[in-house]
Amino acid sequence: MRLIAIIDKELKQLIRDPKTIVMVLLMPIFLTILFGYGYSGRSKFPVAILNEDRGGCGYELVRKLINSEDFDVEYYVRTFDEGVELVKEGDVYATLVIPSDFTECLLVGKSTYVQVIYDASSPTVAQSIMQLVGVIVLKYQEWASSRFGTFSIKPTFYSVYGPTVTRIENFMPPLMGTLLQLVPTSLISVSICRERERGTFEQFIMTPVSHFEVILGKFVAYFVATISDAVLTIATAAILFNVQFRGSLLAILLLSSIFLASSLALGLLLSVLSKNQLQAYQASIFVFVPAMLFSGMFVPVRLLSNVAEVIAYAMPIYYYIDAYKAVAMKGLPLSVVTSDVVVIVAFTAAFFLASMRMLKLRVE
Amino acid sequence: MFAVEARGLTKRFGEFTAVDHIDLLVESGRIFGLLGPNGAGKTTTIRMITGLLKPTEGYVRVYGMDVLKNRRSVLRMIGYMPQRSSLYDDLTVEENLYLYTMLYDFSRQEAKRRTEELLKEFFLDKFRDRLVGNLSGGMKRRLALAITLVHDPKLLILDEPTVGVDPPLRRQFWERFRQLVSKGKTILVTTHYMDEAENCDEIALISHGRMIASGTPEAIKRRAFGGELIEVLLDREPPCDPPEFAKIISVNGRKVRLLVDDYGGRSAQLMDFLRERGFKILEMRPVRVSLEDAFIRLMGERS
Ligand SMILES: Nc1ncnc2c1ncn2[C@@H]1O[C@H](COP(=O)(O)OP(=O)(O)OP(=O)(O)O)[C@@H](O)[C@H]1O
Ligand SMILES: [Mg+2]
Repeated sequence: MRLIAIIDKELKQLIRDPKTIVMVLLMPIFLTILFGYGYSGRSKFPVAILNEDRGGCGYELVRKLINSEDFDVEYYVRTFDEGVELVKEGDVYATLVIPSDFTECLLVGKSTYVQVIYDASSPTVAQSIMQLVGVIVLKYQEWASSRFGTFSIKPTFYSVYGPTVTRIENFMPPLMGTLLQLVPTSLISVSICRERERGTFEQFIMTPVSHFEVILGKFVAYFVATISDAVLTIATAAILFNVQFRGSLLAILLLSSIFLASSLALGLLLSVLSKNQLQAYQASIFVFVPAMLFSGMFVPVRLLSNVAEVIAYAMPIYYYIDAYKAVAMKGLPLSVVTSDVVVIVAFTAAFFLASMRMLKLRVE
Repeated sequence: MFAVEARGLTKRFGEFTAVDHIDLLVESGRIFGLLGPNGAGKTTTIRMITGLLKPTEGYVRVYGMDVLKNRRSVLRMIGYMPQRSSLYDDLTVEENLYLYTMLYDFSRQEAKRRTEELLKEFFLDKFRDRLVGNLSGGMKRRLALAITLVHDPKLLILDEPTVGVDPPLRRQFWERFRQLVSKGKTILVTTHYMDEAENCDEIALISHGRMIASGTPEAIKRRAFGGELIEVLLDREPPCDPPEFAKIISVNGRKVRLLVDDYGGRSAQLMDFLRERGFKILEMRPVRVSLEDAFIRLMGERS
């Protein structure tokens, strides 16, 4: 069968290309180690801050937090709900809320408070956070009292149930997202233009191959080759960093394969549209950078500017990371993330059809 | 029905016209040679005939079918060998052949059988497991030719099949072409080599995208000089007046070259003419003009 023959040929070529080994075997291991140590090296608690204070005293307190040994201020949020969301999603362990009349109260020597939205799902972490916040607030109170007179600042607590993740697991969603976007897209993006550049296409398309067979053949072969990226990443994370997966491995792999498929389909489209390999590479990097930036990897999408938020929603990686967190970290069934899956599949289908449409079986 | 019928074939790349209203008629069962200097538009013409390029104007039919509209059926009738090597360097000889047999819808067993057959036929058996990237130029061309024959096509379109091939192998190639034609296949071939062109049943000369001449090699030569050349060696230097049916091309001592419209018909007439005037003819023979001479002359006329 023609399709089988094409898949077979592509796989042989992939196996014989040293670049594939690097991308498919070394890259996931290397990136997992990089991400793993990057995250585990940080012993501080990630927190967010909601500073509603209209004066300067709130900022003084924030500075104390930034300089503390125990906290990493990772995000500044604008509303209480955002602060709650971050804790719920496990992006931070706590959000500190400084009230709007903080400075006012201090200046007139009136007692005030600092609110801590914390993740109550892991009691030990919650306890240490309460203690540590208490210490910092107390220190600040002593310092402030010496200037403005005696008063008290009381920490109040607001508990939220987060995803019960350990610190280390937080690196998995961005890692999986990055790998399963970068590797498949960049690998497959040169596949068609390489054939054009080497001249092999000229003979290949004189056989009765159809658009569908060319696209699907490459797609399947690259899928088989790159699925190991997901498997290896999960294995490396589990072995080296003892990452626990709350969801079923099968569900995680299935979800990851769907995202992998969308990355491949996108790469194929880039390959069809590019004139040469260089252009295809550049195009895949051009797509990768915003995918990485706006996927919620560094900054949760909710905290992005409006424009960036729209870009994030236009990329499959956003839906994958969202679904991955639910399935792998919260242990929810796939049915919960149906909408994410549907969106990713829709993207895949669109990219796939567009590549078939745009592919020219000519030499122009 | 013609194996290839191209009418008004034109290809423009932007402002530049690479092929300019070329008509080609290739009769079935022949070797048709397409000749022309570098950049003449041979490859562009061939690519339009194979349907790999869309003509700006004109159309191509292969065995009566439009190459763009009936692409699928046409592809099965054509065996194509591109000018530039189109083989997969990272696959072995056998894998390349097997891939193409499979692409032409052979069943697995048939594909295996056909691959073996071609490996033997083209003496590639010993190199079957060698990566194509490590083959010599000649072997690559042999494999490329084998691939064009995978599906037993009626029409072979070969773009400079013997470039970089040594003389013995070139001869083998041409023997095989003859053999294929004797089995009823048609071959459209481009070449730079004049000796190869002489072997064609019919040739077309193109230059700067235009057809300059076409026909059998003999006809083209005749056309180039407007007739045939006769060389006569006389017993003494000739007086100047030639007969009205001949033109003097050159006089070199007692050796005279004359141009006539037809050697067979005019040689006797010329003999009589000279004898009447008291000359002794020591030698008389037709001059073999080379195709190269003819082409140079034809191209010179154009420019
Ligand atoms: N894709 C293209 N874009 C622009 N110009 C082109 C393109 N393909 C060919 N040409 C030009 O068209 C002309 C004819 O090229 P073509 O390859 O058909 O010549 P050729 O007769 O096959 O030459 P050669 O004997 O060197 O193979 C050349 O001047 C070439 O530069
Ligand atoms: Mg050429």
